[in-house]
Amino acid sequence: MAKIWNAICKVKWKHFVNYIAIGIVGLIFSIMTLTTKLPMSTTVLLETITLNIVLAVSLSLVVGFLGELSLGHAGFMCIGAYAGGIISCIFKESNIEEGKGILTFIVSMIIGAVVAGIFGFLVGLPALRLKGDYLAIVTLAFGEIVKTVLENLDLKVENGFNIRGALGMRTPRFDKETLFIIGFVLVLLTVFIVQNLIRSKHGRAITAIRDNEIAAKASGINVTKYKLMGFVISAALAGIAGVYFSFANYNVKASVFDYNYSIEILIMVVLGGMGNVSGAIISATAITWINTELQTSLTGELAVLKDIIYALILVIIIIYNNAPGLKFFRERFNLRRGIDWIKHKVLRIKHDASHEKDDESAWDRVPTKIEMNEVLSTDFVVVESTQNPDKEEK
Amino acid sequence: MKFTRILALVLALVMCCGMLASCGGGDDNTANKNVLGTNVSASDEFTAGNKVVKIGCSGPLTGPAAVYGLSVEKAAKLAVSEINAIAAEELGFTFQFIMLDDKHDPMLVTNNYASLIEQGVQITLGTVTTGPGLEFKEYSHDDNVFVLTPSASGDDIPEYGNAFQMCFADSNQGTASAQYFNENYVGKKVGIFYKSDDDYSTGITNKFKSALDKSFTVVEASFKGEESNFATQVNTLKDCDVIFMPIYYTPASQFMLAGKNTVKANAIYYGCDGLDGIDAVEGFDINTIPQEISYLSHFNSGATEGEAGEFIARYNAFEGDATLNQFGAAAYDCVWAIYEALKFAKAKGTTFGKTTSSSNFCDILSQVLPHEEFQFHGVTGAQTNGGLNKSDISWQKNGFVNKEAVKYIVKEANK
Amino acid sequence: MEFLINLVNGLSLGGVYAMIALGYTMVYGIAKMLNFAHGDIIMVGGYTVYVFLNLFNPLVANAPWLAFLSPVVAILASIIVCPILGVAVEKTAYKPLRGASPLAVLITAIGVSYLLQSLALIIFGADVKFVIIADLGAIKLGDLIIKYNTIITLVATVAVMVGLTLFVKFTKTGRAMVAVSEDRDAARLMGVNINLIITVTFAIGSALAALAGVCSLLETPSLTSTFGALPGIKAFTAAVIGGIGSIPGAMVGGLLLGVVECICNSIPPLAPYTMAVEFIILIVILLVKPSGILGKKRREKV
Repeated sequence: MAKIWNAICKVKWKHFVNYIAIGIVGLIFSIMTLTTKLPMSTTVLLETITLNIVLAVSLSLVVGFLGELSLGHAGFMCIGAYAGGIISCIFKESNIEEGKGILTFIVSMIIGAVVAGIFGFLVGLPALRLKGDYLAIVTLAFGEIVKTVLENLDLKVENGFNIRGALGMRTPRFDKETLFIIGFVLVLLTVFIVQNLIRSKHGRAITAIRDNEIAAKASGINVTKYKLMGFVISAALAGIAGVYFSFANYNVKASVFDYNYSIEILIMVVLGGMGNVSGAIISATAITWINTELQTSLTGELAVLKDIIYALILVIIIIYNNAPGLKFFRERFNLRRGIDWIKHKVLRIKHDASHEKDDESAWDRVPTKIEMNEVLSTDFVVVESTQNPDKEEK
Repeated sequence: MKFTRILALVLALVMCCGMLASCGGGDDNTANKNVLGTNVSASDEFTAGNKVVKIGCSGPLTGPAAVYGLSVEKAAKLAVSEINAIAAEELGFTFQFIMLDDKHDPMLVTNNYASLIEQGVQITLGTVTTGPGLEFKEYSHDDNVFVLTPSASGDDIPEYGNAFQMCFADSNQGTASAQYFNENYVGKKVGIFYKSDDDYSTGITNKFKSALDKSFTVVEASFKGEESNFATQVNTLKDCDVIFMPIYYTPASQFMLAGKNTVKANAIYYGCDGLDGIDAVEGFDINTIPQEISYLSHFNSGATEGEAGEFIARYNAFEGDATLNQFGAAAYDCVWAIYEALKFAKAKGTTFGKTTSSSNFCDILSQVLPHEEFQFHGVTGAQTNGGLNKSDISWQKNGFVNKEAVKYIVKEANK
Repeated sequence: MEFLINLVNGLSLGGVYAMIALGYTMVYGIAKMLNFAHGDIIMVGGYTVYVFLNLFNPLVANAPWLAFLSPVVAILASIIVCPILGVAVEKTAYKPLRGASPLAVLITAIGVSYLLQSLALIIFGADVKFVIIADLGAIKLGDLIIKYNTIITLVATVAVMVGLTLFVKFTKTGRAMVAVSEDRDAARLMGVNINLIITVTFAIGSALAALAGVCSLLETPSLTSTFGALPGIKAFTAAVIGGIGSIPGAMVGGLLLGVVECICNSIPPLAPYTMAVEFIILIVILLVKPSGILGKKRREKV
């Protein structure tokens, strides 16, 4: 018995906590919807939450781990949504599963991911030359270009699909009661891909590029490869989210995927803490839930208040989480300390040093960001490489 | 100019929709069981403490399109308060109106729909705008919930037989406008000014272009999003004699102001129902515009007489400060039409009550509205009705509305 | 001829973009943050003009020779109100985050933007309001029509650009601003009060936003709560095209964007794609010259 207990203790539970939490929640809701019928508002909320988690986790790969600001995530999603819509329309016309079965989903998911990934590669190319806010505006530009082009696209294929410009495209909707189960599977898939990438040597290379690109290059890391890898994987996952979106709606309309949507996803990533997958999951869930609650509880004349409440929550949380002046306060009152307090004082679990893992080098927390300026002489100027003569940084 | 607003009944055209039957889609209504004259009062879902019949709606209350949703909300509340004074006696129950905000965003409407249904809404006004309406109609079709939309004018909205429109469908407006052009503006140079990312505007424009006589010289200009600087578009259209603008009144007023000295002084601005309200824009004096401003619509928010004039007075006296436009007038008519339809059903011997389920209400209402004996008189549509100053409104089986459209001349050209 | 008309229209639109971009670029250059709320400060400036015009117009209605007074008062009022608001926002929302991740500041700016928009919606309602500050007529040269308002906008923009350049080059505060933007820590060591300089920057940036609001109303007099959102994004693009942080760059970028927009809009098949064309030009310029047309190259330090 003790042996089993020890074995359980030795497992790095920290690495699996996301899977376990998502799996349990997903399982509970799946059983509920398959046995007793869940109310539609719950299934819709679960669909939106899972969609936003996939988007937030995939964006956190670029913003949190690669350290590039991207304002065009909705553009990749838009491509995925149109790809998914086209596939399911074709399947419907060919009488395969009425265009809304699991097979359709898998096929369109693969195609959506590939197409969005190709565009991710194209957007990743300028990222090799541009940094920071310049790259941010290029990604924003990409998202708007995709939106504008699809908004004006009139394309009808007989016995296939029909894209009607500003009206968008009508697509079959997946079963309302069970679609969110697929959503949970997608969340698990996304978290699996991102976490394993970050924990691998590729992930360490990606975070090294974030912390200091030149130092990373000097250490022999192939910056080009890893930057592109980050963009392509993130875009492909956003494409999958887009396919999921097209299955959760009766219409796919390009105007939905504007920069405001990208910013909404960015807010989830930043609020969850940069480079923190669990944080992105929690904040995506919380923001979606708060928005839905505000939308349905503030009706009529009170509707104008919901943006104010949302904005205030946003500003207060960001200041609380990030303000250097509140550091002391933050260290005294936070979730982790609260959990520790419950563990030690309430549950009386003793702190066992033998179970302490290599937490400091855990994938999700890069302990210190080495300021190379402090290490090396500040006057040291790198001779610009011949490959990238215009390489610069503000 | 003496009259700030000249109302001319130049055209009274029954919007005939027979030619558009092809848009109606596949569903056949005959599958519905005939509920007229039967007893449908009991329903398990709603027996638990339902005190009123709830009418729900989803529309933009914030964001750039908020002005349309706010007008709908106020007008629907006015109608409900008026009906409640008499409904308890006539029908045995009263109504309650619930409106949720969708910001004119199709992504938010699914949640609104679910929330409305779970709050016990039995009858809906659908959505205020077409984009979210395309989502809403699918869900309402799945659950068999009745929709009578005030202003979602997309051709696809009434596809399934459970949804009806109070406004004219986009394609009808486009075709009717083109017919008017073919008859009245022969040989003139026609300009089209439309919003390229808006389904309402592109929908009308496409129908208009295809129905317009090929002999016309047509010049097009477009804008998108929240753009407001129209100097280029004015320059493109400056030589046109008639400018067709199937857009809402906010950008239209911006265009007219930008073009008041550039566009031909004797040109005619010709819009659709979106142009209603252009003379109420604060700070925009239509008399400084030399050109003629007119539109084909079902409501005149400057009316002073008839049923419409009285409605406007009541609306302005009612609590809340949303400006009236045709969206609000249509919503007012929607609520009254629902009430009249229920009265009609009761007179036919159908029994129902405040606990009747949304699906049963849908069966009743979707049979009453297109019923040949049912006729509704409202504030939208041409105010004639043989001198009664009321309009005649009826519905077709495919959900399109039949009423008389009027070409309103907001302002004549300066002499 | 057609091209000339489009050019004039483009310059009038570009002048407004340039004015907004100047404010953007000021704040970005010194505070190193993308101020997404800049567009909404423009909106507040617009509503200030609206309120003061409505207050003063009845007063001067009886005295036509005083008619010039109400626009002047309204413009001055907006130039006073906007900096107060800008500094208040800076003190409450941005200052606590000094030293934190730039992304956190970006999100706060977005939050402030939402807040200002909804407040405007509550106070002034959803209806569009036409605010005609002055209608001075136009010069007609055949088909070519040049509005006096356009000339005022362009002259004001050039004057502001020259004034800012001189201010930054020759005043003590201006030099301190350059120092803060170059190296904040070194500037602090040299005795520059960083907080004060950033506050002054926000005040100047917001005053420019007020001017931009006035110019924008001179061109297109319709005012809603989302009045500043689209111009804000366009001006951000303009600032990046010109080289963000560069004062003449903002001017060049703004005018270029305005002209491109008008030329695109005048070609019917291309008109729906104007946004896309503008952004493609942006991407091409950035790929050729990654720091914008007039942006400074900076060497990368380890």
